Amino acid sequence: MLGDIASVIVDGALISAVYALIAIGFTMVFGVGGVLNLAHGALIMAGAYTYLSLVSDSILASVTLHPIVAFPLTVVIVGLISYGLYVVLVRTIEENVVITFLATIVVAIAFTELVTLVFHAQPYQYSVVPGVLQVQALGTRILYVELAAFVASWGAMGLLWYYVTKTDSGRSIRATSMSERGAMLTGVDVPGVRARTWLVAGGLAGIAGVFLGGIGAAEPTMWLEPLALAFIIVVVGGIGSIKGSVAAAYIVGYLQTATGQFLGQSVRGIMSLVVLVVVLLVLPQGLYGTEFVHE
Amino acid sequence: MSDREQTGRGIGRLTGRAESVLRDTLLAQGAGVVGAVGRPAERLLWPVAERYNRRLGERFGEVTGLQLLLLVVAFGGLVTAPLWGQDYLRPLTLGAVWAVFAMGWDIQSGYTGYISFGHSALSGAAGYTTGLLVLHLNPELSLFVTVPLSILVTTALGLAIAVPSLRLRGPYFSLVTFVTVLLFYRLTKALSEWTNGLRGIRVDVFTYDLTLQYYMVVVPMLAVAATLTYVGRSDIGTVLIAIRENEDAVSAAGLDPTKFKLWSFVLSAVPMGIGGVLLAHVNAGVDPQTFVIVDNSIQMIAMAVIGGMSSILGPLGGAFLFVGLRDVFLVGLGEELRWLALWLLVLLVLVFARDGLFRLLWRALGALGGDRR
Repeated sequence: MLGDIASVIVDGALISAVYALIAIGFTMVFGVGGVLNLAHGALIMAGAYTYLSLVSDSILASVTLHPIVAFPLTVVIVGLISYGLYVVLVRTIEENVVITFLATIVVAIAFTELVTLVFHAQPYQYSVVPGVLQVQALGTRILYVELAAFVASWGAMGLLWYYVTKTDSGRSIRATSMSERGAMLTGVDVPGVRARTWLVAGGLAGIAGVFLGGIGAAEPTMWLEPLALAFIIVVVGGIGSIKGSVAAAYIVGYLQTATGQFLGQSVRGIMSLVVLVVVLLVLPQGLYGTEFVHE
Repeated sequence: MSDREQTGRGIGRLTGRAESVLRDTLLAQGAGVVGAVGRPAERLLWPVAERYNRRLGERFGEVTGLQLLLLVVAFGGLVTAPLWGQDYLRPLTLGAVWAVFAMGWDIQSGYTGYISFGHSALSGAAGYTTGLLVLHLNPELSLFVTVPLSILVTTALGLAIAVPSLRLRGPYFSLVTFVTVLLFYRLTKALSEWTNGLRGIRVDVFTYDLTLQYYMVVVPMLAVAATLTYVGRSDIGTVLIAIRENEDAVSAAGLDPTKFKLWSFVLSAVPMGIGGVLLAHVNAGVDPQTFVIVDNSIQMIAMAVIGGMSSILGPLGGAFLFVGLRDVFLVGLGEELRWLALWLLVLLVLVFARDGLFRLLWRALGALGGDRR
């Protein structure tokens, strides 16, 4: 029992960091452009499959990179995919919220089919950091990949924090999400900010994808669950708030892990939904959010 | 599909270009075949259309001669399908079922702009109610019991989803419905001693006579189409569209938008119930893959988008087009490529013709009639 509790505490802390990463990207894109990017899950999947193709010799025989090289390369590639998605598709339709919304989900579904076409439906296991850490004192064990995910996620969040608080380029992102008009009046290049935000969000999704695929497996349906979690986290934390996303990621992450451990894996999602409904009814703007203003 | 549903606001640059290209080909160069055939035909048909407009125009929207011709041909084609399309009865039957779904989605999401990803959970609820009743209560249960019960359960589930989520504005609603579908899918697995998990539940087909089965699906489909068209053209439809365009204005006019959104969800849950029962019997069973998964909701949305959201008859046409492409014309491409092509088509329609293909056709036909209206 003590071991169970310890493993919930440890697992929850580790996986929640990845959830936070996903939710932050999702909420940042929404914050600056008012676009709910339902293709965010597809970017996560892109991360897993890109990394897989780069490190494994079973996909692209000529390309096998060391994880140290493949990981940053994956993050850059997924960031660029996200950037491309914005510039090619979303920019032309973003003035209509509903159309954008539908277009991004169609992109996600189309991407699923593309992945199935290229990689087939079977799940791919790959290892990012092999090995298991036994924690004798707590009677629990931690996969090194989970630990790496935790470190990388918090590292990325730290960098992001530095970027959006200390650099002009990052602060213009925050300014735009606070008030687009205000940002414009102070000379911020708003379209540039949006494109940059998509790039950053894509990079974060790429990191998350590599580790989610490493912990579970890369398969064509792997984007659904993280996307739904991102929704829940973002709503609980408040749409548009980075701080809220981190806090809510930990709430939801712990809840998921605890229900999974004590009530069974099949009811994992249900508690999160209950929390979602309660939050929506009691605190519709979330923990740290301002309520979405439909313009 | 009248113009009053369209405010210029949402029409973007690219759509404008696509439309003007269409207008150029059809009208400015109208000296071509279309104009030469269309205009006299329109003149010929106009008296009939005028009589229709006087009788039913107020309830179902006014039409020009060619538009009426399109409706009559489409209706006639559907009713006489077993005569000309014996080989295609299966896709046509499925097309009719999906048309019910697409129209049901449209009256709620298309009209109010509150996009629901939860509609496959509603159709799933209907299918599973029928399935569970047959499996666990009495296999001999009459359709007169299972069908109303299934629709009732669907409506109840619709209310259970709508009441907490529709109080919220903007995107929250869509997010909640999306999560609901995933949860419903999870439940069908978690309760697999009741639902047989992924294998699903066997349900008897209506009949093995494909022609009879076709009519058993098409008749309810046409009834749903007529009812929803009527509702869409009524004051209720106007209020729903007003909610999409400017919810504050609706409140300011003294109408409670939440109440209307709730009713639109109920209005949409009933067709979803009907469609779910039909699909269960046509497919001879319910299982999570053909009913619940979120892809199904997105297919409904795709049909509505291709046809033209918030027009009821557009999604109807979109459903037949989508199912036709999916099950007949693109089958040769193989499983994944076929879907990829379909989704890319939907994406193209979203970007370049966001009003939908059938609405473009409808307008083009209307434009041939000149500005008589």
